[in-house]
Amino acid sequence: MCVKQIPDPAAPAALDPSTRNLVRDGKLIMDESDLYGVEMGLQLIDAAGGGEVTLVSMAPNGETNGLRNALAMGAAKAVLVSDPALAGSDALGTAKVLAAAIRRGPFDLVLAATESTDGYTGTMPVQLAELLGVPSVTFAKKVTVDGASLKVDRQTEAGYDEVACPLPAVVTVTAGVVEPRFPSFKGIMAAKSKPLETLSIADLGLDAASVGGAGAREEVVDVQQAEARQAGQLVTDEGDAHEKVIAFLEDLKLI
Amino acid sequence: MNFQESDEQLMLRNAVATIGQRYGHAYYAEKAREGEKTNELWAELGRAGYLGVNVPEAYGGGGMGITELAIVAEEVAAVGAPLLLMVVSPAICATLIAHFGSESQKERWLPGFATGELKMAFAITEPDAGSNSHHISTTATLDGDSYRLGGTKYYISGVDEAAAILVVARTGSDPDTGQARLSLLVVDRDSPGLTYQHIPVEIRAPEKQFTVFFDGVSVPAGNRIGSEGDGLRQVFFGLNPERILSAALASGIGRYALERASAYARERKVWSTPIGSHQGISHPLATAAIELECARLMAQKAAWRYDSGLDAGEAANMAKYAAGEAAIKALDQAIQTHGGNGMAIEYGLADMWGMARLLRIAPVSREMILNFVAQHTLGLPKSY
Ligand SMILES: Cc1cc2nc3c(=O)[nH]c(=O)nc-3n(C[C@H](O)[C@H](O)[C@H](O)COP(=O)(O)OP(=O)(O)OC[C@H]3O[C@@H](n4cnc5c(N)ncnc54)[C@H](O)[C@@H]3O)c2cc1C
Repeated sequence: MCVKQIPDPAAPAALDPSTRNLVRDGKLIMDESDLYGVEMGLQLIDAAGGGEVTLVSMAPNGETNGLRNALAMGAAKAVLVSDPALAGSDALGTAKVLAAAIRRGPFDLVLAATESTDGYTGTMPVQLAELLGVPSVTFAKKVTVDGASLKVDRQTEAGYDEVACPLPAVVTVTAGVVEPRFPSFKGIMAAKSKPLETLSIADLGLDAASVGGAGAREEVVDVQQAEARQAGQLVTDEGDAHEKVIAFLEDLKLI
Repeated sequence: MNFQESDEQLMLRNAVATIGQRYGHAYYAEKAREGEKTNELWAELGRAGYLGVNVPEAYGGGGMGITELAIVAEEVAAVGAPLLLMVVSPAICATLIAHFGSESQKERWLPGFATGELKMAFAITEPDAGSNSHHISTTATLDGDSYRLGGTKYYISGVDEAAAILVVARTGSDPDTGQARLSLLVVDRDSPGLTYQHIPVEIRAPEKQFTVFFDGVSVPAGNRIGSEGDGLRQVFFGLNPERILSAALASGIGRYALERASAYARERKVWSTPIGSHQGISHPLATAAIELECARLMAQKAAWRYDSGLDAGEAANMAKYAAGEAAIKALDQAIQTHGGNGMAIEYGLADMWGMARLLRIAPVSREMILNFVAQHTLGLPKSY
C-alpha cells in the first residue's frame, strides 16, 4: 500500500515562493485518503487467510509519524524512502522511487489512494503501474481476489464497471468505500516493534539526476488564488421551500 | 523533563477521539434523555482494549497505566460524552483488584475489566459517612466462610448496569478510637438481600445513582480483596486513580465547552465583528483555557507519578480540584458565549452543567481537597 505523509490539512498550508511547491518541513501525518486502501488491503488479507500489507512511503526528513497509525491498524511492516535529493519531486519522480522500493521484493497487489489530499494530481498510481509493467485499475469501490486474477468494481460517473485483470496490478481505492478500522490498543503497542526500514535513493540504486527536483519534468509555473465562492442563495421557508430547492437542483440538472 | 506524550499515547488519543466523534454529544444526550445507556460506545471502546489499558497484560489488558486510562477518559469526554463509570470500574475497582487481589481473584475479574465487559460499581459513601470514611457503618461479619453484610450505601453510580459492587465495609473497630476497620468486598449485584433504589439527580447523564440496601447479604470470604481490616489503606491506593480520572473527565468536558464556545465566537456576529473579537467574550474564554491547561498538566503529572510508583496524593488531589473548577468555569463561559443559544438543547452545553458541577462535589469534594492540601502541603492543623 502506497501511503503518503502530508502536512496536517487542518493547519494553514504554505507554498515555497521559489518552487511554488507545498512546504513539507513540519511534522507530517498520514493522508486520510490512504486509510481506505490500508483497510482494503487488510480486508483482502483476512479474506485470503494469509499474506501481509507492506506500507511504502516517500517523505522528507525520515518522517515515519504517518506510518505508525497504519502499522497499528495491522500492516506488517513499512518501507520509507527519504533522501534530501528527493526534494521537489513531481508525480513521475515519486512513481520511480516507489516502483524501485516495491520491486525490491515480490508483490501481488499494489494499492494506492485515487489521489492525495495535498497534491491532488491523481496521476502517480498509473505512472507507477507503467513503471512496474503491470495493469492498473483506478477508482475501485470493491476489490476481490480470485486466484491469480482480480475483480474490481470500478466507480464511474454513471455507476460502476466490473473489471477483471491479472495480478500483480496497481489498484487505486476510492475514499469512503470501506470503513477504516481504528487501531486496537494492542495494535498501537505492537506498532512500535514492527519493522520500519528507511532507505536512501542510493539504497534503491537510483541516480540523483533522475529523481527529485533535478529529474522533475513538471514545474509549477504559476499559482493563483482560488476564485472566491459566490454567496449562496438563501431560501426562506414559507411552506414552499422544498419546491424552491427542487427547482434549483433541476436548474443545475442535478435531478 | 519531558512534556511530550509518546507516539503510542498520541495514537491512543487520536483513535479514541475518532471513535468518540462517531458518537458525539448528540448520542450521549439522547441516551440520557431516553433513560438508556451508552452501551454501544462503551462496548466499542472495550473491544478495542481502550477500557482495559491499565489492566495487566497477563489478564488480557493493555499493560499500561493510569496515564493511558486518563487519555481515554479525557478524549471521550472531549466529544461531550463523559463516561462516568470509567472513574469507578476500570480506575478504582480494576486497580484495587490488580494490586491487592489474589491470583484467583485476578483471574476471575481482570479479564472482564480488560474488555470492559465487566462493570463494577464502587460503594463507599453512606448517609452518615460521606466525606468521613472512619464513620462507615455498613458492617460485614465473618460467619464461617462467608460474610453477612448489613447497612446502606448511597449515591452509588451504575448499580443498575454493574454485575458487582466493590463495597467498603466495616469488619471491626479500633478498640482505642472506635474508628472503623475496613475491608473491601466484591458483592454480586444480584445477591439475595441486596436491593437498590434510584436517586433522581439533576444530571443529564446515562449513568444513574442509587441507594443500596444490604440486608444480611451473604458474601463469600473469597470475595474479600486483600487482608481484613486493611481496607482504608487499600481504598486510599485506589483513590488516586479515581481523582486522576475525575480530572480527566473534567478536562474533557472543559475542552468540549471551549471548543464549542470558540467555534461559535468566531462565527457569530451581532454588530460588525464576530463576538469573539470583544474582549468581554475572548478574555474569559482565554482565562478558562489557561486554567484548563494548567489542570490538565497537573493531571498528567499526577498520572505520571502514580504510574512511576511515586506518591501521587498531592498531585492527584490538586489535579482533581483544578480540573473540577476549570471545567465548570469553561462550561459556564461557553454557555454565556452562546447567549440564549447557550440554554438550547440543540447546542449541547447547558445539559452538561450537572455533570460538570458534580465534579466539584464527587468523588471527593473540593473542601476535602483543600483540607488535604492545607494539612499535607502547608502543614496546617486540622479542624476535624
Ligand atoms: C452523582 C453522584 C455520583 C456519585 N457516585 C458515587 C459512587 O459511585 N460511589 C460512592 O461511594 N459515592 C458516590 N457519590 C458520593 C460522593 O462521593 C459524595 O457525595 C461526596 O464524597 C461528598 O460526600 P457527602 O455527599 O456525604 O457530603 P458531606 O460529607 O456530607 O459534606 C457536605 C459538605 O460539607 C463539606 N465538608 C464535610 N466535611 C468537611 C470538613 N471537614 N471540612 C470542610 N468541609 C467539609 C463537604 O465538602 C461538602 O461540601 C456520588 C455522588 C453523586 C452526587
